[in-house]
Amino acid sequence: MTNSLNDMRHAKSLIFIGSNAPEAHPISMQHILHAKEKNNAPIIVVDPRRTKLAAKATDFVRIRPGTDAAFMLGLINVITTNGWEDKEFIRTRVSGYEELLAVTKDYTPEAVEEITGISAEQTRHVAKVLAENRPTSLTWCMGGTQHSIGSSITRTFCLLQLVLGNMGKSGGGTNIFRGHDNVQGATDMCVLADNLPAYYGLAEGSWKHWCRVWDVDYEWIKSRFPKPELMQLPGFSLARWYEGVLGEEKLYQDTPLKAMIQWGCGANSNSQYNRVVQAYNKLELLVVVDPFPTMAAAACDTDNIYLLPSASQYETSGSVTSTSRQIQWRHKVVDPVHNSKDDYQIMELLVNKLGFADKFYKNIKQVPEDLTRELGRGALTIGYNGQTPERIKKHMENWHTFDIDSLQAIGGPCDGDYYGMPWPCWTDEHPGTPILYDISKPVAKGGLPFRNRFGNEKTYDSSGRTENQLAAKGVCNPGSEVEGGYSEFAEIVPGTNWKTDLSQKTLKVAIARGMAPFGNARARCVVWNFPDQVPIHREPLHSPRPDLIAKYPTYKDKQKHYRLDTRFESEQNPELVKEFPYVITTGRMVEHMGAGAETRSNQYLAELQPEMYAEINPRLGNNLGFRDGDMVWIESPEGSKIKVKAFFTERVDEKTIFLPYHFAGVLMGESLIDKYPEGHAPYVVGECGNVVTNYGYDIITQIQATKDGLCKVSKA
Amino acid sequence: MAISRIRKSAGDSAVGAGRRVTLNPKVARRSFLKISAATAALTGVAMTSKMTRKANAAEKKSPYAGSTKVRTICTYCAVGCGIEAEVHNGVWVRQEIAADHPVSRGGHCCKGAGAIDMVTSPKRMKNPMKKVNGKWTNITWDQAITEIGDKLLAIREKDGPDALHFNGSAKVSTEMAYQQRKFAAFWGSNNIDHQARI
Repeated sequence: MTNSLNDMRHAKSLIFIGSNAPEAHPISMQHILHAKEKNNAPIIVVDPRRTKLAAKATDFVRIRPGTDAAFMLGLINVITTNGWEDKEFIRTRVSGYEELLAVTKDYTPEAVEEITGISAEQTRHVAKVLAENRPTSLTWCMGGTQHSIGSSITRTFCLLQLVLGNMGKSGGGTNIFRGHDNVQGATDMCVLADNLPAYYGLAEGSWKHWCRVWDVDYEWIKSRFPKPELMQLPGFSLARWYEGVLGEEKLYQDTPLKAMIQWGCGANSNSQYNRVVQAYNKLELLVVVDPFPTMAAAACDTDNIYLLPSASQYETSGSVTSTSRQIQWRHKVVDPVHNSKDDYQIMELLVNKLGFADKFYKNIKQVPEDLTRELGRGALTIGYNGQTPERIKKHMENWHTFDIDSLQAIGGPCDGDYYGMPWPCWTDEHPGTPILYDISKPVAKGGLPFRNRFGNEKTYDSSGRTENQLAAKGVCNPGSEVEGGYSEFAEIVPGTNWKTDLSQKTLKVAIARGMAPFGNARARCVVWNFPDQVPIHREPLHSPRPDLIAKYPTYKDKQKHYRLDTRFESEQNPELVKEFPYVITTGRMVEHMGAGAETRSNQYLAELQPEMYAEINPRLGNNLGFRDGDMVWIESPEGSKIKVKAFFTERVDEKTIFLPYHFAGVLMGESLIDKYPEGHAPYVVGECGNVVTNYGYDIITQIQATKDGLCKVSKA
Repeated sequence: MAISRIRKSAGDSAVGAGRRVTLNPKVARRSFLKISAATAALTGVAMTSKMTRKANAAEKKSPYAGSTKVRTICTYCAVGCGIEAEVHNGVWVRQEIAADHPVSRGGHCCKGAGAIDMVTSPKRMKNPMKKVNGKWTNITWDQAITEIGDKLLAIREKDGPDALHFNGSAKVSTEMAYQQRKFAAFWGSNNIDHQARI
């Protein structure tokens, strides 16, 4: 989130795309509804499904899954055609705007209606509502990202906010609600195949930076890798790791995967989950570290599996980063129960056994506080250095002193700090940054311009136009020594820049001069390192509209995508819809979480939602000849199927079927409940919705396309 | 059924009506059995088949004398709601809303309201386990780490470090997530990822 949940209280309008907050982020609703009631803010909900959030909306926009980019480009078309764009914001803080308009001119409301199913009239209406009620807070979740063009879709959300001038403002922003409790913190630490902690990437300089932080010899780390070039090649992603085991695809490493450690990760949130199960059975070693057995324990048929009982997060301590970038200390409530151990203890046992404990724990005496300090020392790109364990704990002790509207402490020991010191928090005196890219405040008080990351000038491929990428003259934070755009800071300490100067002198010098360490640039409409430099609509790989594939085809197949190839063009078959006529999409329910291993083992939640189901429109069910409550088979083009109860509801339209994805313990009609360790099977088992989610991955991130596949349905 | 059990145990443990609690029925029951037994011994009244009794005023006011309150954060979604956990003799006995937490302001969803069950669920894994001839078997931590470590080292020796994939977690602390990434680096592979990918 660029802003915070609390800051949404200041929104004058709100738009949600592929987000269902009452189920997925229930307690955020008090701030959202505050804006609705207090500011009379319209709430626009864009979703294929009439969700609980849609029930609170002033406008519900039913969209065909996977066409969000077209709708956003259509809104920009209407806004710019009518002159409703924020001209001053665009002139001073945005680049590539003309190149954007060259694309959006084709997305007229009528063209958008043809793609999305949203009437031209409704597109015009929504654009007007947003133009007349600024600032708008814009939120998306997995409904916006889990598509083969997910990275383009999310960019169109940002472009809409730039055009409306809603960035860097209280009540505005792009406010992505993150899913799991610490998915923000874990992402920031880059438990990712393509990055070192704090998004440093995998370049040689990045490795050298972190080796300095770890206080280990770079040559030693290098010697741990089979070849130096593999240090810079992204690994397998969570979305497709199992293909590395199955060996049916060309791999970009010398060995297939033979061992898997699954640590706090219930894998039935993977699409094509039955292929994950096949991979489990081919592994030589599968280690599951979790408080609960997870579906893996029941799905793996071989003896090559170990279950290590980790304590829950209430039996250990450490910091967690909320969706609002706030860092909170999760204090330990009780010691690990039973014969479980906390994560740190298990890691220590493993590292000791594997023989690199001396180097791994070189600076770590006190766990977890020394880890907070070590990661902070290195994570300068995102300003994780100012949030010391002492400060985080002080915020916890004094959380009652923070104002609900501004999140700033009013008096008390944290006076002036923003709650949780939202990153970046550049120094141990910095209050945190409650709103990203806000130039109304000095940098030292939590303000920031846009980051200068991609050079100072660019000639665009599409237009041949050259544009300065730094902010316009006179546009900067109050007190800035340079009155206008400037480059990122480097060579304050010779041989380093603001990201690599471990003494942090560069950060302090920049802030003392009233400037942002990362420079003051424009936000880009043209991303020249992406295949679609300005985002466009492309039909889902498995499209229900074969007539649109010719006009909006997907990408060429992608080679060396992480460690394998990903099919795009060769997967987009216009004939597929004839046999698989319905769109399948997935989502959450409030009673369960993620893969459900925890919540389906909770007696209270199990009773509230005890059964897997598929939401089917009554008209579709009646036409297909089954009744509400009947068992039906849902089959995917990949040849997998699930047997679930039909739940007739007009939440979905006649062409769309919705599945909650939290269930597991039943696989393609067969219950696996007897295969869990005795006494540890969850209270509730059910078919995994993700067995029938289709092939399809984003071309940049490789996120799986679970929201716009195809399926067929029949009475069981 | 679960709901009726909550109500019943709340009554047994004499928590004042109107107070929002979720507690472990087993723990509450056990502690009150003890109190009942002690009272019976003191007054010389023989224990009846009914093992519980109504709490007196003092117990109603503070049923867990000497307990401590721990401020912590819910482990479900990324809203980051506060939880006030009450701990008595090392046991998490009750949880209260965090009425003055700046984000959640006393709100809890149905998941967060049952956070205590994460610790008390009987479904929790109790010991390291492995499969022997298809049967789940308890093993010691020593045996588990030795066998897993030996296998990992053997795979690393034969096929190289890229033969391991590490699925890390968005459910652990930032410090632990950092260690997961650091682990992969020291092991010698970029084959690591977590839920944020999807």
